[in-house]
Amino acid sequence: MIDFQYIFEYFNGAPLIIQIIWMVSCVLFVTAVVLIIYLKVFRSHLRKNEKIVKTFQKKYEELLITYLYAGVEDEEISSEQQSIINKLKSEIKNEFKREIVITTLLKLRNEISGEMADAIQELYCQVGLLDYSLIKLRSSSWYIIAMGIRELTQFNIEKANKQVVKYANHSKSEVRKEVQLYLINLFHFKGLDFLDDLKVSLSEWDQIQLLEVLQRSKDQEICNIIPWLKSENDSVVIFALKLAEIYNLFETKEVLLELISHKSENVRINLMRVLNHLSIFEAKEGIKRNFNKRNKEEQIAFFQLLENLYDTNDEDFILKQIYNKNFEIKFEALKILKLFHNEQFNNLKLTPPESEFVKIAKFLQNN
Amino acid sequence: MDTSTVNIILLIFHYFFFVYSATAIASYMILAIISLVETSEYKKKNSFVNYKEILSSRVSPSISIIAPAYNESLNIIENVRSLLSSHYVNYDVIIVNDGSKDDSLEKLIKSYNLVKVDYLINQQIPTQPLRAGVFKSTNPAFEKLVVVDKENGGKADALNMGLNISKSTYTACIDVDCLLLEDSLQKMIKPFLERTDVKVIATGGVIRIANACTIKDGKLLDVAMPKKFLERAQILEYMRSFLLGRMAWSRLNGLLVISGAFGMFDKKIAIEVGGYDTNTVGEDMEIIVRMRRQMEEKRIKYKVAYIPDPLCWTEAPDNHKIFISQRNRWTRGTIETLKTHRKIGLNYKYRELGLLSFPYWFIFERMAPIIEVVGIIYFGVLLALGSIRWDYAFVFFISAYLFFVIFSLVAILSEEHTYHQYKKKGTGFKLILTSLLEPFIFHPFILYAAIRGNIDYFFNKDLKWGEMKRKGLTKEVISEVVEQK
Repeated sequence: MIDFQYIFEYFNGAPLIIQIIWMVSCVLFVTAVVLIIYLKVFRSHLRKNEKIVKTFQKKYEELLITYLYAGVEDEEISSEQQSIINKLKSEIKNEFKREIVITTLLKLRNEISGEMADAIQELYCQVGLLDYSLIKLRSSSWYIIAMGIRELTQFNIEKANKQVVKYANHSKSEVRKEVQLYLINLFHFKGLDFLDDLKVSLSEWDQIQLLEVLQRSKDQEICNIIPWLKSENDSVVIFALKLAEIYNLFETKEVLLELISHKSENVRINLMRVLNHLSIFEAKEGIKRNFNKRNKEEQIAFFQLLENLYDTNDEDFILKQIYNKNFEIKFEALKILKLFHNEQFNNLKLTPPESEFVKIAKFLQNN
Repeated sequence: MDTSTVNIILLIFHYFFFVYSATAIASYMILAIISLVETSEYKKKNSFVNYKEILSSRVSPSISIIAPAYNESLNIIENVRSLLSSHYVNYDVIIVNDGSKDDSLEKLIKSYNLVKVDYLINQQIPTQPLRAGVFKSTNPAFEKLVVVDKENGGKADALNMGLNISKSTYTACIDVDCLLLEDSLQKMIKPFLERTDVKVIATGGVIRIANACTIKDGKLLDVAMPKKFLERAQILEYMRSFLLGRMAWSRLNGLLVISGAFGMFDKKIAIEVGGYDTNTVGEDMEIIVRMRRQMEEKRIKYKVAYIPDPLCWTEAPDNHKIFISQRNRWTRGTIETLKTHRKIGLNYKYRELGLLSFPYWFIFERMAPIIEVVGIIYFGVLLALGSIRWDYAFVFFISAYLFFVIFSLVAILSEEHTYHQYKKKGTGFKLILTSLLEPFIFHPFILYAAIRGNIDYFFNKDLKWGEMKRKGLTKEVISEVVEQK
């Protein structure tokens, strides 16, 4: 007791700064102890949680498999199936269990096909999971909205279209992406209609995802992309250009030619690739006329087009460009010259020997 | 000097140390809070990402992995195999053999059926010349591999050669001995492709320590905690640095460094700024500062992004000699970079770079070890003068120690809440114990290495990179560094 009294006396007699630092130290000490205990508890909770999840997953898996095989031909839903539905209905009231049920349903659905996969999908609606997903769409948190849309996508809930599409211009890119994936996965090319009213940029990452989903789709009937090629949104134009390239949309030629003088460099660079791919040689003259005004990337892309669509009218242009300061342009020009005017290429004066020009020419000679 | 003058000087010192420590602690706390928020947001956002789609896409952008190698004969075959095992579709691997004196090249030629090819190099960045030339494999299974054999010029020079050779839009510069997880490239490239409001110029990834982990055929099979305290302390240090430091700087768009072990760049911009600086040992930090500087000067909105996922695993020094040598080099690199770009400091034209990141690095990274040593000397002087107020000293020491421990504990918690890589029972206890002992056992070595770095910077100018002999991640890791003059 005397010791404690001494401590109190010391504390009371100490300068203010010491008193403050001691108090801070005490707080820090308590914090450290709490953190250590929390850390230990949290780690063991994580381990336990993993086991619990596995147990529930196993339980639900068994339940779902029983459900799938408990069907009776005469009845839409057998009594055994109904009891499983009722059981699941009560289980999913708990959020933690609900997530496990959804994961298990998805896992099973991905492993099976045909009628059984359809039955899983129906079960998603019957047990009331659909209602929970739809409730998520009304949340104020972007994260929950995105989760809801994802669930609707995973279980192919087409009827939620109207509720989902209103988030197409949501401020969070994650929500927008989920909307886009919902539309594309469920409605394929028709789902691309969201591009008509897209007010924000479609990132390259989003574009890649959408193209991949579209390419996987069984329905390959592509819609009219011309309005998107004329869109005010540059990212939509670029996406439409990629569609034109992948799906060989020659019918877009006239609009593509108009895009040669598009205000966006990025659009023009992407356009070059499409023009090349679709062999639209009519584009050449227009580009050659203001070649020097275009940026380097565009110029290089144009040369790749030229290599593919070369004709004798391009000779003068090529001869001018073999001395271009840019390495890639010089290389492309010399390559075209060698390909189509080998004699002229062989007669080139290769001096001084160390120059970039000679280096490229010699490389082309040897390869 | 009379007594009052001495007292005034001592008082100035008192207040200086107090203010410096308080500011440092406050800044750490702020950064930690920002980091925690940012990491949690990242995890949330990332839970919606499907990385599979970009893997097989024919429109996904091209990436070159550039890995410089110097006398890596022992592990080069396995390391290259690991680099070739990425799931990304549109990439190639450029191994730059930087004048190795061992049989690295011969081994590569034999193992990967390499043949010399005529390769036209656009020499946009000056480098040392080719030695044996450029090699490609005749085996279609290794068609993504390009091996360049050049005269020795150092890591930066080798990376520059890789930039010249690469035909890709993006380059991932990595240490050849690093283990990349299979989904590393798609995670690193994501910020470049998803940001539409700013130009992403580089992305950095978290570096994790692979000592004691089980690795087979270039794949990480099991994560374990090493037995040696030095290695464990580095694991904790990396957690603090990556999870509580860089994540915040990423949020503030103030990242000044991307680890040389694994970073991805927009190749065009990296070349525009002249590639890596061959005159510094901190080339990884220097190129980022230079790229940022250019973007600021051109008034282009940009971002240096940061990925907290554990994507790249590397071996950390397992003995004090190598550890000190490594930290010595890091210190010299920081000094060189900050000196080269001193114009940025407190220059409002460079916005947050000049007014926030740069001064922070100067005050709390560059100057911290010096101030700490001055503090120790000052303490010694007071001790000699018999002027120590032990009640003050004790309580300040206790509070500083507790803060340090709490900071480490928060880093461990952040790791557990996010990636939970160290799952084994007992690992948590080891990490907690390490955080309690680290200030006494580990920190003095960091301080010593930083001071050696300062001394070497000013008095040993010819000191360059060390030569590192490795045993590799698949076996017990023992490295030896010989400083080269």
